Amino acid sequence: MTKAVTEPVSSGDRPYSGSLLEVEDLQVEFRTQAGVAKAVNGVTYSVDAGETLAVLGESGSGKSVTAQTIMGILDMPPGVVRGGRIRFRGVDLLTMPEAERRKIRGEGISMIFQDALSALNPLFPVGWQIGEMFRVHRGLSKKQAYAKAVELMDRVRIPAAKQRLRDFPHQFSGGMRQRIMIAMAIALDPEVLIADEPTTALDVTVQAQIMDLLAELQRESNMALILITHDLGVVADVAHKIAVMYGGRIVEQASVFDLYAKPAHPYTKGLLDSIPRVDQKGQDLFAIKGIPPNLLHMPSGCAFHPRCVFKRDNCTTDVPALLTVEGPRRSACHYSREVLDGVAG
Amino acid sequence: MGRYTIRRLLQLIPVLLGTTFLINFMVWQLPGGNPFANRCGDRPCPEAFVAAMTEQFGLNDPFWLQYLKYLTNVLQGNLGVNFNQVPVIDLIKLAYPTTIKLALLAVAIEAVVGIGLGVISGLKKGGFFDSSITIFTLFLLSLPVFVTGFTLQWILGIQLGIINPTVSAGAPWSELIVPAIVLASLNMAFTTRLTRTSIVENFRADYVRTAVAKGLPRRRVVGIHLLRNSAIPVVTFLGTEIGALMGGAIVTEGIFNITGIGGLLFGSIGRRDYTVVVPVATLLVVVYLLANLLVDLLYGVLDPRIRYE
Repeated sequence: MTKAVTEPVSSGDRPYSGSLLEVEDLQVEFRTQAGVAKAVNGVTYSVDAGETLAVLGESGSGKSVTAQTIMGILDMPPGVVRGGRIRFRGVDLLTMPEAERRKIRGEGISMIFQDALSALNPLFPVGWQIGEMFRVHRGLSKKQAYAKAVELMDRVRIPAAKQRLRDFPHQFSGGMRQRIMIAMAIALDPEVLIADEPTTALDVTVQAQIMDLLAELQRESNMALILITHDLGVVADVAHKIAVMYGGRIVEQASVFDLYAKPAHPYTKGLLDSIPRVDQKGQDLFAIKGIPPNLLHMPSGCAFHPRCVFKRDNCTTDVPALLTVEGPRRSACHYSREVLDGVAG
Repeated sequence: MGRYTIRRLLQLIPVLLGTTFLINFMVWQLPGGNPFANRCGDRPCPEAFVAAMTEQFGLNDPFWLQYLKYLTNVLQGNLGVNFNQVPVIDLIKLAYPTTIKLALLAVAIEAVVGIGLGVISGLKKGGFFDSSITIFTLFLLSLPVFVTGFTLQWILGIQLGIINPTVSAGAPWSELIVPAIVLASLNMAFTTRLTRTSIVENFRADYVRTAVAKGLPRRRVVGIHLLRNSAIPVVTFLGTEIGALMGGAIVTEGIFNITGIGGLLFGSIGRRDYTVVVPVATLLVVVYLLANLLVDLLYGVLDPRIRYE
């Protein structure tokens, strides 16, 4: 795949700067009648071409809000971007005029959503919806756009693409709909693809197929993939690095291998411990105690402290910073060293 | 869709038999006074006249025979004559074109103004324009038609002299505009609110978010993705509205002295001229049923998720 756009500026060996897409200290809040909900509190991550970043977290952790802010599809109001930068190829998207930003959507950064049935327009044939990308961004004729749509539907392996071109979204199965969503998102060869829980609404066998497809498309076109999920099992095979989010912050950042081998944050450890394992058959499944934090009333200090088994006194007062623990891995825990070494708790 | 249409048309037969039977029964059989009692001024009508009329309109026949004769005549396209020996079909021909004109104008106003205001209002939700429109529509919704009618007639027709206070014979389009506004006002307000609600609801829909994420210009997101989806309930409402308005507008026709089907029906009921009431009522039933069928078919055209077989 050839790129029509300039290659990302790379700045050598520093791991989190000069990347294709950089989110830096992003802060997003929702102003509701009940109060101000701090959905994203200083999130920083980056992704490079050919790289897959998995953003892991439970509902309300801010992972989707961050993605929507990157895309510029956050509902504003009630959403407000309080601070931070989102640099794509070194240019800040947040200060860019809307007209320019619009051109980046679909061309530079694309997104697929969890529920393809509601994310596709029910009133237009799928071929029309895929072709719309070419008609609007590339000025292709209707006929040319339909031809491109067939190519894409073949590429995401929809059987009998030509015959199904004029079918409507409701006439497809869940997995096929997600393939159409993917076809639409990769239509213009974007450099970054954000997949927001792409397999959550699908059954397990179809989940694997969709993940394989995404991984394959990424290899072919060398795009960066941001995979947002709450499912640890989904990310293990495809992701290169993982950012674990909790209460609107990144609590741990590491390569997939490191993270699975030895978590450096109590929350990650809890998540890994709660994966069912064959050798524990018949025993009670581990669960992280307590409930996710209320974004309107965040706990003082470390947001995770009410549920943390490693909790000490300063956890309730001091917010831990996301600090390097070892090599490229970072953790936002006062006692990350002990967690990593398995000493405390 | 063709088979569905045919099936729906066939379903009209039992409905029409039932409704015409009920109309005939209620009009001719239920005690409503002698239809010939008041036809001769202050004096009672001569026996001979009553007898002749009773004979002519077959009122001595048993009811089932009367109904059967009526059905046979209607199916042959013969609507009969009224008590003054004027063919009913001529009365309808005189009145119905005006009603159709008035109904089309009113629906056009409801569609253009209602959808227009509703879309802007919905897109600028919570703003000054939206609030003004909400107050305006509430005002219109709370005004009875006769108040709007008489007020506009008095201001525009009598005080300012911009329009004729009453519509002249032949009902030219230009003179029907103000009556159509009066007739449309209530449901125009309703259309505005329906459109606004629909726009606001769909604006947060996932596919609108997708359209933005596709990098489409705002006017395309709104004009194609949002509007098509929001139009479905509005268009179906306007479809039923055509059916309702084709049934005539008694109050508006009365105020502006328009000779439409509503006035014809109302006058005939007042004169107890049942020979007119029955065929006109039948016609209105047919029109309403066809309009409903049209709306159902339209719904299928607008929304591919609805398929008839």
